Amino acid sequence: MKGQPRSRRGEGRISEGWSAKMAVAAAAARVWRPSRGLGRAGLPLLRLLGARGLARSHTHRWQQQRHFSSLDDKPQFPGASAEFIDKLEFIQPNVISGIPIYRVMDRQGQIINPSEDPHLPQEKVLKFYKSMTLLNTMDRILYESQRQGRISFYMTNYGEEGTHVGSAAALDDTDLVFGQYREAGVLMYRDYPLELFMAQCYGNVSDLGKGRQMPVHYGCRERHFVTISSPLATQIPQAVGAAYAAKRANANRVVICYFGEGAASEGDAHAGFNFAATLECPIIFFCRNNGYAISTPTSEQYRGDGIAARGPGYGILSIRVDGNDVFAVYNATKEARRRAVAENQPFLIEAMTYRIGHHSTSDDSSAYRSVDEVNYWDKQDHPISRLRHHLQSRGWWDDEQEKAWRKQSRKKVMEAFEQAERKLKPNPNLIFSDVYQEMPAQLRKQQESLARHLQTYGEHYPLDHFEK
Amino acid sequence: MAAVAASAGWLLRLRAAGADGPWRRLCGAGLPRGFLQSASAYGAAAQRRQVAHFTFQPDPEPVEYGQTQKMNLFQAVTSALDNSLAKDPTAVIFGEDVAFGGVFRCTVGLRDKYGKDRVFNTPLCEQGIVGFGIGIAVTGATAIAEIQFADYIFPAFDQIVNEAAKYRYRSGDLFNCGSLTIRSPWGCVGHGALYHSQSPEAFFAHCPGIKVVVPRSPFQAKGLLLSCIEDKNPCIFFEPKILYRAAVEQVPVEPYNIPLSQAEVIREGSDVTLVAWGTQVHVIREVAAMAQEKLGVSCEVIDLRTILPWDVDTVCKEECFLNLEAPISRVCGYDTPFPHIFEPFYIPDKWKCYDALRKMINY
Repeated sequence: MKGQPRSRRGEGRISEGWSAKMAVAAAAARVWRPSRGLGRAGLPLLRLLGARGLARSHTHRWQQQRHFSSLDDKPQFPGASAEFIDKLEFIQPNVISGIPIYRVMDRQGQIINPSEDPHLPQEKVLKFYKSMTLLNTMDRILYESQRQGRISFYMTNYGEEGTHVGSAAALDDTDLVFGQYREAGVLMYRDYPLELFMAQCYGNVSDLGKGRQMPVHYGCRERHFVTISSPLATQIPQAVGAAYAAKRANANRVVICYFGEGAASEGDAHAGFNFAATLECPIIFFCRNNGYAISTPTSEQYRGDGIAARGPGYGILSIRVDGNDVFAVYNATKEARRRAVAENQPFLIEAMTYRIGHHSTSDDSSAYRSVDEVNYWDKQDHPISRLRHHLQSRGWWDDEQEKAWRKQSRKKVMEAFEQAERKLKPNPNLIFSDVYQEMPAQLRKQQESLARHLQTYGEHYPLDHFEK
Repeated sequence: MAAVAASAGWLLRLRAAGADGPWRRLCGAGLPRGFLQSASAYGAAAQRRQVAHFTFQPDPEPVEYGQTQKMNLFQAVTSALDNSLAKDPTAVIFGEDVAFGGVFRCTVGLRDKYGKDRVFNTPLCEQGIVGFGIGIAVTGATAIAEIQFADYIFPAFDQIVNEAAKYRYRSGDLFNCGSLTIRSPWGCVGHGALYHSQSPEAFFAHCPGIKVVVPRSPFQAKGLLLSCIEDKNPCIFFEPKILYRAAVEQVPVEPYNIPLSQAEVIREGSDVTLVAWGTQVHVIREVAAMAQEKLGVSCEVIDLRTILPWDVDTVCKEECFLNLEAPISRVCGYDTPFPHIFEPFYIPDKWKCYDALRKMINY
């Protein structure tokens, strides 16, 4: 089953395997014929194309696809598989009671239905906790560092750590990740070193991205995390293409594609969903619905039942989960992964959560939401606290360990931070490479012209901070 | 699209011919009498559709690439795609209507030969087609995406400019989509009007990270397309649709490469340089001949071939501003959308090029 890419639905398309000749014949027939059958006008055209063999195989292929019968009162339209109805009725989009939200733990971290407990080993669940808290600590320090002018920009992940870690833990290490910009926890779970997070934010010599992008635009080939780009939702159809290639390669890999509920409004999201379904790609679409796209609340982003409700419209299996419940996220992603690879079809997971932090360091969210609202999520429904309560109730964690870990993680982050600050920035020659695989002559000339310029005007440039 | 054009073309040929036999058959098919009148019924004002504004000049048969076959431009494209899919097991071709052979027949036979997982239709969505193609290329597989008309490339502009072009640079070469090629029918065709005639290469000409290529002939098309597919950078390959059938020459059956970013001097000259790409190369070739004959002026004719990165050195041996004896003249369409019925007046035909040349000589 895994060796051969399987088709979910049968062939069924009338154009399947037609040569251009037959397509022209059929198109001409459609233009000319007044009723069923080719009509007199179509015949000279068919004769031109060597009709006899053509006409025979032409009818044969039509009969293969659908059985047309004028005695049958059922719909024959190629575009929909449905029955007739003689009552005029508009379908009510069900916005009052939407798709239910799957969860495993309650807000106090207690398992609600024991059969949904993933029964993960202690070591793994501790890794969830440590990844989420380390991310949180790094976020606090790097946010501060931007306020102090040490880095130019930062985006925190407050409140959404559960969506990152729960989903990352359910994947194989080699599953390809396409993110938007608020998924650093996925990299954290895959053990991306603090040094490299910092290097990218500082744009220093250790940055694998060679200092070209704004902070938080991480990427890591080794850990199969495609480099982040600023335009929203562009990663969605790309992820679908990567999944198609993985299917063709029989790689038994899934691709996961993260995006927010705001990015889901982009045309690229629609394109990605539709392509994934029609081309039968092993992909998980993971939507972080955190309530806001910068200042725009969901009531101004969509009028339907969130993102999960769109999935069935594309023919995609969909689920809505409590994004602050790391086990719910884990279970849903695990099952989606298993089936996406086995059945070569897309899955849509909408993880409901809340963006506790500002959109970025360029945003002050008190301009559009109340402190009370933010505090509710921070205090009453936080993925980290819920998991901590769960760990404590299992006897896998206690206040002493918490204190020790807080100290240790802060120390680790501070060390990486200080090192990152001290490092030089990369050589300005790196402005000119990687535009193409090879450096074209024009760029080499421009590179030389910059070098000459710096020889004369170097004092006006911060050359001391850059590698020679 | 091509099927409808074929039937419409047949219809108009009938009208011009004024033939009676097929006439009666058409009336019998239920069309109102008098709906189609013969050309003579309209008197002298009746027009035939225009003949092309250029004459395709085939290049001499290439000898260095082995056996050749007579091919038109779309067949040369098919041949290049066939070679690519044969050589590279990861290569796939996709876009609107490519499965049955494509609206310009560029992909005829390929699905039967290579399978439905390698030559397939996508939904009607250009931003999706290019985004999807980028994703395939990111995994290292070869993606050959078709945009049905260059006029419809704009929904994919973000994916091309913001994503494909910048993929390698922004990731510090951790990731790239170099194995992506986008091919698209391009340029005026006589009746294409605003949305089937555009030449949008200028929109991409200042986008570092992609390559933009336009061939003038079947032999050039196959070699340049193969180079684009094999190039390790995302490429856009525009195919002059008016040449799909009109351009016929001997083309090698086996694969071969024509280098990118190298212009070709197809006629040496000493007085004036004429630069063009695609269909227009044939126009200026004729203008060069006219200039020689009527004005005694010796023209150098250059086919740019690659728009980006372009071959600066061939076009001007050094920064040539001070060496010019007259300002550079651009002869192109007017700054309006591409009109339908006015095409003969809109395009930079040989008379306009000749006139610009004449003024330049007399500067």
